Amino acid sequence: MATKAGDWRSYQRVLLPPVRDLHKLSVYGDYAALRKVLAEYSPQEVAGIVKKSGLRGRGGAGFPTGLKWSFMPPIKAGVPRFLCCNGDESEPGTFKDRQLMEFNPHQMLEGILIANYAITAKTCYLYVRGEFADWITLIDAELAKAYEANLVGDNIMGTGFSTDIVVHKGAGAYICGEETSLMESLEGKRAYPRIKPPFPAQSGIWGYPTTINNADTLACVPPIIKRGAEWFAGIGAPGHPGPILYGISGHVNCPGVYEYPSGMLITDLLEEVAGGMRGGKALKAVVPGGASVPVLRADMIDGVTMDAGSLKKAGSMLGTAGMLFLDEDTDMVAFLRRVTRFYHHESCGQCTPCRDGTGWMENLVTRIDEGEGNLRDLDLLLDLCNQMEGRTVCALADAAAWPVRNTILRFRKDFEAKCRSSMWTAKTVA
Amino acid sequence: MADFIRNPVVTLPDRNPAPHFCEQELAFTEEEKTKIARWVSQYPTPDGAVMWTLWLAQEKFGFLPPEVLRLVGEELGIPYAQVYGVATFYTQYYKQKKGVCVLDVCTCFSCQFTGGYDLLHYLEEKLGIHAGETTADGCFTLQEVECLGACGSAPMLQVSNGPFVHCVTRARADALIDALKAGRMPEFASVTLPQDEDELGGNRRTDVAFCERYATLPIAKHTR
Repeated sequence: MATKAGDWRSYQRVLLPPVRDLHKLSVYGDYAALRKVLAEYSPQEVAGIVKKSGLRGRGGAGFPTGLKWSFMPPIKAGVPRFLCCNGDESEPGTFKDRQLMEFNPHQMLEGILIANYAITAKTCYLYVRGEFADWITLIDAELAKAYEANLVGDNIMGTGFSTDIVVHKGAGAYICGEETSLMESLEGKRAYPRIKPPFPAQSGIWGYPTTINNADTLACVPPIIKRGAEWFAGIGAPGHPGPILYGISGHVNCPGVYEYPSGMLITDLLEEVAGGMRGGKALKAVVPGGASVPVLRADMIDGVTMDAGSLKKAGSMLGTAGMLFLDEDTDMVAFLRRVTRFYHHESCGQCTPCRDGTGWMENLVTRIDEGEGNLRDLDLLLDLCNQMEGRTVCALADAAAWPVRNTILRFRKDFEAKCRSSMWTAKTVA
Repeated sequence: MADFIRNPVVTLPDRNPAPHFCEQELAFTEEEKTKIARWVSQYPTPDGAVMWTLWLAQEKFGFLPPEVLRLVGEELGIPYAQVYGVATFYTQYYKQKKGVCVLDVCTCFSCQFTGGYDLLHYLEEKLGIHAGETTADGCFTLQEVECLGACGSAPMLQVSNGPFVHCVTRARADALIDALKAGRMPEFASVTLPQDEDELGGNRRTDVAFCERYATLPIAKHTR
């Protein structure tokens, strides 16, 4: 069957190519894409190429990267500009950036330098979550080698372009993956998200113009420069082109990160890429993009491909492409209980609907899971979701509400089976 | 109205606990001061270096009681309240004394359904403590943590904010505890990408039998 991913079986990997010791600078080579950019293009042209390639952010929201770069205000003397590379990958089910830092860190660093050139920033803060201590050590060592080879620092390769990369170590907070709270965290404060607008391009770190991109997004930039925007736009699904790192986990035979074009059929990813369900069991549910996207039932994935448009039609989102497959024995109430527990723990506590709402969600789902809930609790949970969505500074409350609402609506029988029979009957929910 | 200040419903934290470190211990060496100065130079204001400095302080002192936070604030020239705020926001900064080895068992959903809670409860039984507690000899602290970003090699755990231990079976958990008791930290382990398994000679787990028991539910506190 022809899919949007085209001939994905013969796809040549560009983000995580099968080269031994690629993480070493000597194997990776000396930043040919950066050399080409510095020699041939102006910053506006680089942003234009990336815009033309159709590269969309890989951090979850899927915002066009070239467009984001063009939002930076005109250069003013004495006003520094910053790039942030978001490597604070904490979405449950997502583990692609860690593999990138481990197997191909130089491509990420090269992407950062090209982005720095495109937005004329002098400094990039590479924010890596504190749990990845070993990977920070690895990146630090490779970055030092890049500095030695004059690929980063003052007067890069004698072209007069100077830029620095500073690695910032987080300390374990999911909320730091949100762009404004990442900036607060960099400034040395509690990571409370800020109200937008002003957007980071106007007022970012320390009030200066800032662009934030995911580590995976920036790693896509060097191949775009080397092979051209048309090549990139031709990979995978139109409208959301390029290679995607699918992080597959759960009850499959071969979990792990796979690089394939966007627009892969979910059934292909399950049966042919990840080796099918463990123990030959039947599929029950798929989470296509990390904890915060709506879960899909097994009968909802026929013909659904991994790109923003198709997943939206199916009633979910691409998110970070961290996929979780669950088999027929899975207890969806226990699943939802763990998800609500996660959001309760990670809510930063700034806005009341989220701080209290996530706690009540956990309490209610726990009560149902313990067999002490009644049917009215389900409607109460759905009502709670409506009360939380769109009423907070950042999207964490929405991200907590979506899985709750959709898991209940799509697996209502599982929940009703665990509820105590009581005098209250379930109201019908639209 | 009940007097919540004098009779709090939830016990309030002690604002001025007895110090754990004496005056002589509370100082950074010259080498550490150079490191801090380098971090400060990388940010527009000294505030930016607070997270790196807290990491340094935690490595040096083991945990971050108020007197250490005060030292960090003085070193960077920022208010104590701000340092306290940062230290209490992030889960990886330890505000209480922990065991020599802290075992962070990931139980987020990918791990939950591949045996994360099995592993946690196994370690609870083996060490004789509940999650969140420290053993009597002060060797181990066991914690349940949120997603550590290694879902493809679940179930997994992290030792003392350092190395990841992937694909933990009961036998590997036993071996890990023995090694830690003998003072050997696990090495950095790279898990081969599944697509490279054949060409580059992988070290990925291919036996899946040991994590068939993924049905364990989280055990609520009140049911214990």
